[in-house]
Amino acid sequence: MNQTDLAELSKLLYSPVTIGLYVAASIVSFAALTATVGGGDAQRGRRAMQLGRVLALVGIAAHLAHEIVRGLAQQRLPLGNMFEVTSLMALVGVAGGLGYLRRRRREELNGFVLLGGTLMLGLALLMYAEPGPLMPILDTWWRTFHVSLLVGGMGVFAAGFVFTGLYLLGDTGQVDPGARRAGALIGSALGDSGAVPVGGSSAPSTLSTAGPEDPAWRAEVRGRISAWRLALGVFLGTSVVSWVWAVSLEPTRAGVGRMLTVNVTMVVAALVARWFTPYLPATATLDGIAHRVIAFAFVLWTIGTIAGAMWAEQSWGRFWGWDPKETGAFLTWVAYAGYLHARATRGVRGRSAAWVGIGAFVTLMATYLVANYVIVGLHSYAGL
Amino acid sequence: MTLRHGRWVVGQKTDAIGGARSATEPQRYPPHVAILESAPPPVQNPPIRRRGVPAGPRGSQGMFAFVLDSVRMAWRGLTRMRTALYLLAGLAVQSAVATVIPQEPNVPGTVQAWLTGEDGPGVGVAQALDTLGAFDVYGSTLFLAFLLLMFLSLTACLIPRIRGWLRLVRHSRPPLLTRATSSDLKAGFVTVADEGAVLDAAQALLPARQRGTARWRQRLHRQHGPGDPPGAGRSAPSQLAAETGLWTREGGSLAFHLSFYVLLAAIVFGQLTTFEGQRGVVEGEPGFTDAAVSYWQYAPGRWFSEDEHAGWRLDLEGFEVDWVRDPLAPGAGQPTLFRSAVTITRADGTVERASVEGNRPLVVDGRKIHQLDWGYAPRMIVRQDGVVVHDAFVTTQDATGLFTGAVKAPAADPDVGLELFLYPFAPDGTDGPRLTGAPWADAPLMFVWQWRGDLQLGLTQQFINELDVSNLDLQGGTWLRPGESVAIGDVEIEFVELRRWVGFQVSRRPGVPWLLLGAGMMTLGLVASLYAYRRRVWVVVEGTDAQGRTLVNVVGRAFQRPDAAAEEHARLAEQLRVVLAGEATTTAPVTAPQAPTGAST
Repeated sequence: MNQTDLAELSKLLYSPVTIGLYVAASIVSFAALTATVGGGDAQRGRRAMQLGRVLALVGIAAHLAHEIVRGLAQQRLPLGNMFEVTSLMALVGVAGGLGYLRRRRREELNGFVLLGGTLMLGLALLMYAEPGPLMPILDTWWRTFHVSLLVGGMGVFAAGFVFTGLYLLGDTGQVDPGARRAGALIGSALGDSGAVPVGGSSAPSTLSTAGPEDPAWRAEVRGRISAWRLALGVFLGTSVVSWVWAVSLEPTRAGVGRMLTVNVTMVVAALVARWFTPYLPATATLDGIAHRVIAFAFVLWTIGTIAGAMWAEQSWGRFWGWDPKETGAFLTWVAYAGYLHARATRGVRGRSAAWVGIGAFVTLMATYLVANYVIVGLHSYAGL
Repeated sequence: MTLRHGRWVVGQKTDAIGGARSATEPQRYPPHVAILESAPPPVQNPPIRRRGVPAGPRGSQGMFAFVLDSVRMAWRGLTRMRTALYLLAGLAVQSAVATVIPQEPNVPGTVQAWLTGEDGPGVGVAQALDTLGAFDVYGSTLFLAFLLLMFLSLTACLIPRIRGWLRLVRHSRPPLLTRATSSDLKAGFVTVADEGAVLDAAQALLPARQRGTARWRQRLHRQHGPGDPPGAGRSAPSQLAAETGLWTREGGSLAFHLSFYVLLAAIVFGQLTTFEGQRGVVEGEPGFTDAAVSYWQYAPGRWFSEDEHAGWRLDLEGFEVDWVRDPLAPGAGQPTLFRSAVTITRADGTVERASVEGNRPLVVDGRKIHQLDWGYAPRMIVRQDGVVVHDAFVTTQDATGLFTGAVKAPAADPDVGLELFLYPFAPDGTDGPRLTGAPWADAPLMFVWQWRGDLQLGLTQQFINELDVSNLDLQGGTWLRPGESVAIGDVEIEFVELRRWVGFQVSRRPGVPWLLLGAGMMTLGLVASLYAYRRRVWVVVEGTDAQGRTLVNVVGRAFQRPDAAAEEHARLAEQLRVVLAGEATTTAPVTAPQAPTGAST
């Protein structure tokens, strides 16, 4: 097989195969969620769960195969441009997210992670670049170390974003607004600082005795999340990132078109997540998962940024120079540090902290795209 | 004395495990040492105004008291976590501004273009941004003020935390359990083993010091023996209280936050002692000596003295550069190689050949030599009426597709200025040379604009590669190949040959090892503060049931990571039950310990 064939194969593995498998696995996992939690046929739910797991594993295998074949086609690690980085982000996010959910025995949430992974794969396709060699200055062990840590961190942050979003949806839908006002500090029972009700549930905060088996209860939960406000919020929130296409693509009309495509896709995904909100586990669980995931990614990000500074000292003769990407990495680090601190602060933990987490992910994506598309700095190697 | 007491807690359980001393033997407690029961993690947001301290009418205490009060309140405000969050947000906003707006130290050219209106949002906006200091965010007073406040806040926050942590590590022991709360983890069983055996097994299960497991801080209490000091929990049932993660998590968090002081100190120390010089060298031409006067750009720290220069000499023998030349190959036009072959001649006369590559700087006497820049260096001779007024290599700079440079010859009368545009690969085609824009110098061709008049050297600020043409008149232009010469008026311009030049940076950074120390502290502290978790386990002997079997409860309480703690608790409880051949009752606790008739099985 020559390199062109390999490149074709890697494309094939990516575009219909991996994306198709992720979508299928996501749909089956959502079906399993409604069946197991929603009081459907438990036997069927378990079978659907198993099928979803298998589909997801085959999808991850196909994704991994794509990365390997692409690496073979260009004789280097697929960590060289924005397509490859975003694709790897999706792989790390999906594999890490599903693995962590399995450990936490929360596999019913697999569908959401797979949905997020599918979106990330689609985002990578928007930045597709043909396989090619690497600039010699980049061809070093340092780079592999620095970039793979940061890409891993980005992928895990993305999974953390999914869980943070689910926590906010669950908290809005499942918690009675009256109870929230009365309790005022529902959030303060969460978090990992201060005595935590171990194994406790958020039972006092959920409204009635009815659960997700009851269609009326489900409708009530969905009804508490205004679809219009959610759609508008997600549209505007995504715009904080997607404006990059509007200003960087020629002609501008195509750029605005792409921006709207991204925004509308995110809105649709948010509405899908809203529909499944009644099936979500207790908000404390979601908050805990989001926190653990983000904390892990924060460690990766910290080490990756330090490695970057060490490489810069080696390559450019200075360890930190406030280059746009360095600034972006610092900004993201500060934003997630803010999230971790907010979660340990009384009166802030809970919803406010989750909003900080959402903002931190928006910061991550915005700096990632802005520093690659809009601003030219020393780091501008991205194969656009 | 206090330290010894801290160790006493460890000593007691070691004795009990070894059985060397019976647990009924009276223990002596030094009366002057307060025993601290380890408290839960501190509240992160203390009130600014201490409760119970009357505010008092303003001014009645005099000006001094008012100032003192204000300072105290400001300090308490700084210690609040919420303040730290706002400060972090402020730093983030400023960084965001610096991401979007070009920064003077990084891209001075772009900033200049914004200020002149050639680029960016317009002159008015750019002027306003300049006034606000947005073109140099990290050098602005506002950023430094935020940084200072951040460090003040961190200090204010850390001092009490470090004190509390030291107290906890040195004097604390787990409290006794008198009553489990509803949120505690519980597991119970009945066993034929007696109280002593249960407590011994519990002590072995929760070891104080064992490779590969958590180190538990133990406290043994017997209800009907003098095993514990008088005071709180005297009436508690016999039990082993154990706690771990007591200092790791908080200690990790402290190490993480203290690493910022190390980083700050390392950066300041580095700034003071560093030295950085830049110098361009043409292939085969004389190089430069490591001395203050040799560098084109020279930036020593305040504590760096010029006699610290080592005095070696660097010559560039050759510079290799190559690209993917096939226009159809993937990555066409990308560079594939940058390598300088250099000769280092030390002060003592020893000569050493070495090479400098992109990611492999050369280290000579603790100085790092990097390649920062490169370009083509055409040798240009300018003659006026046969007299040579300029003969030198011109260090041209890459301008995407061509290299540009300038010749300034003030020796001519009037001054001669040349603008050079070098096309490295311009092969002859059917209708004249074809400017391909490729960077390899297989068919170099140069276009020259000749200017006459006043170069204004020393009068205006000029770049070495640009002419200030405000007082110059354009005389004409010409194309040149290497070896050709052309006369325009009384001036003859000769393009003798083409070589390459490399811009080297020589730097010394004594702060780097300290930065690495700070980075290591930060990483290790971060991992410990996020992954270590504090939890307590009590193995409580609740009494005996009707058959005379011992009722045992294993109670767990986690301060962080409830899921990990729950897993561990279930594992420990099961292990203890197996060791004691106990019979599981329910996962609910065995209740009513003091009433044998009420004991559930």
